[in-house]
Amino acid sequence: MTPAMQQAPLVDEQPAHPALPPVHLDQFEGPLDVLLHLIRSQELDIFDIPVAMITRQYLEILDSEKKSENGLNLEIAGDYLVMASTLMQLKSRMLLPRPEVDDEGNEIDPRAELAAQLIAYEQYRMLAEQLNERPLMGRDVFTRSVFPETEDVERPLPQADLDALLLAFRNILKRVGGEVRHHIFSETMSVREQMGVVLERLGDSGGMQLDELLRDTPGREALVTTVLAILELWRQQHISVVQNENYGAVTILKRGMA
Amino acid sequence: MNNAISPLQCEVEAIVLASDEPVSLKKLRELLGDAIASADIRSALADLETAYRERGIRFVEVAGGWQFRTAPEHAELVRRLWQVKAPRLSRSALETLAIIAYRQPTTRAEIEALRGVKVSSQMIAMLQERGWIKVLGRKEVPGRPHLYGTGKQFLIDFGLGSLQELPDSTQLMDEDEIQQLVSGPFATPPADDASQQPESEHAEQS
Repeated sequence: MTPAMQQAPLVDEQPAHPALPPVHLDQFEGPLDVLLHLIRSQELDIFDIPVAMITRQYLEILDSEKKSENGLNLEIAGDYLVMASTLMQLKSRMLLPRPEVDDEGNEIDPRAELAAQLIAYEQYRMLAEQLNERPLMGRDVFTRSVFPETEDVERPLPQADLDALLLAFRNILKRVGGEVRHHIFSETMSVREQMGVVLERLGDSGGMQLDELLRDTPGREALVTTVLAILELWRQQHISVVQNENYGAVTILKRGMA
Repeated sequence: MNNAISPLQCEVEAIVLASDEPVSLKKLRELLGDAIASADIRSALADLETAYRERGIRFVEVAGGWQFRTAPEHAELVRRLWQVKAPRLSRSALETLAIIAYRQPTTRAEIEALRGVKVSSQMIAMLQERGWIKVLGRKEVPGRPHLYGTGKQFLIDFGLGSLQELPDSTQLMDEDEIQQLVSGPFATPPADDASQQPESEHAEQS
């Protein structure tokens, strides 16, 4: 008895099919992208994926990538190898003499899940392209703020949110290089100490820009401690954090001032 | 459509030009005072939009407000003026952004499952820095992962009035629809006819 009638031929019955042009993985976004390329460029039916053929072609691509100049990029290798094993498992499932059946006794096609995943991804791939075709600010269309920020302009300062603060911290930490020595120190007291220092520095002026506040802090560890101190002060509502414009300078104000 | 420019239109122009961000109808009402009817403001906005369609500057509605921006035809000139090159968005960024835009709120795990690859933290950070995505909260499941959605800047930068204007959002199939689509052709086992192909009429994908 031949393999289940309901399932497509496993063997590549199309020897006349022309060889695919060589592909490099860096043209692709991942295994799904590669599979879609194989399916669409050869005009295969996504609802009737010829598993053996696709698996062979996919593995050939991985193989040629391994042999290429740079080899298989370790960072992405994992995702590609997982798909390779998924395909090979799919191939074995297709070889089962009887069709697979779900809990309710309905026949299932082992390829259905992969087809679903590919279709879902293809949608977003297309939507992404469509997004890119829109006139994009800074690339195709431009706008200009007419009034530059001046110190004289009296405007109510908008509250910065946590995201903005964390982003500002990240940028500052990036600028301070150096190693972080891994040693255990009395964190709580250091942070408390810094809280006091920060409040003192805010002192009479009542407020200071984040950059300035962190400027003279020596080294990464001290910087991190100060950052924690600022967050704690904010949480305890001893200070407020404001930001005049998106990605603008962040200002720390002592509560009760301004 | 009113061809001559009205005083109200002039006032709206001035306000919109002088604003850092798109000006909403609400803001305009606030600035122009109660004497002016909303309907009149709306009509002025529509007239301005039409009038500027012919010009090198456009008057557009984005993110729930109105803004002036240069016409896309002159992109090259402005880039020359600013001495910048056309920035290129990577496909990873665009796909990640598309998934977040259309599926928000969504988690990183969902994005990775859809794309079939890991999403890098730098990618997420970059999209956040631009204000295109933001953390909306956390999903109350083990691990309490972040839930991502788009920010106002996404609407502004991509020229959308609101999320409802995202193209093809109605045609987007969700998991159930896709499941139906893929199990359709295989739902009924055909008769013993060995030559019968298990294809369904509605299996055509555009």
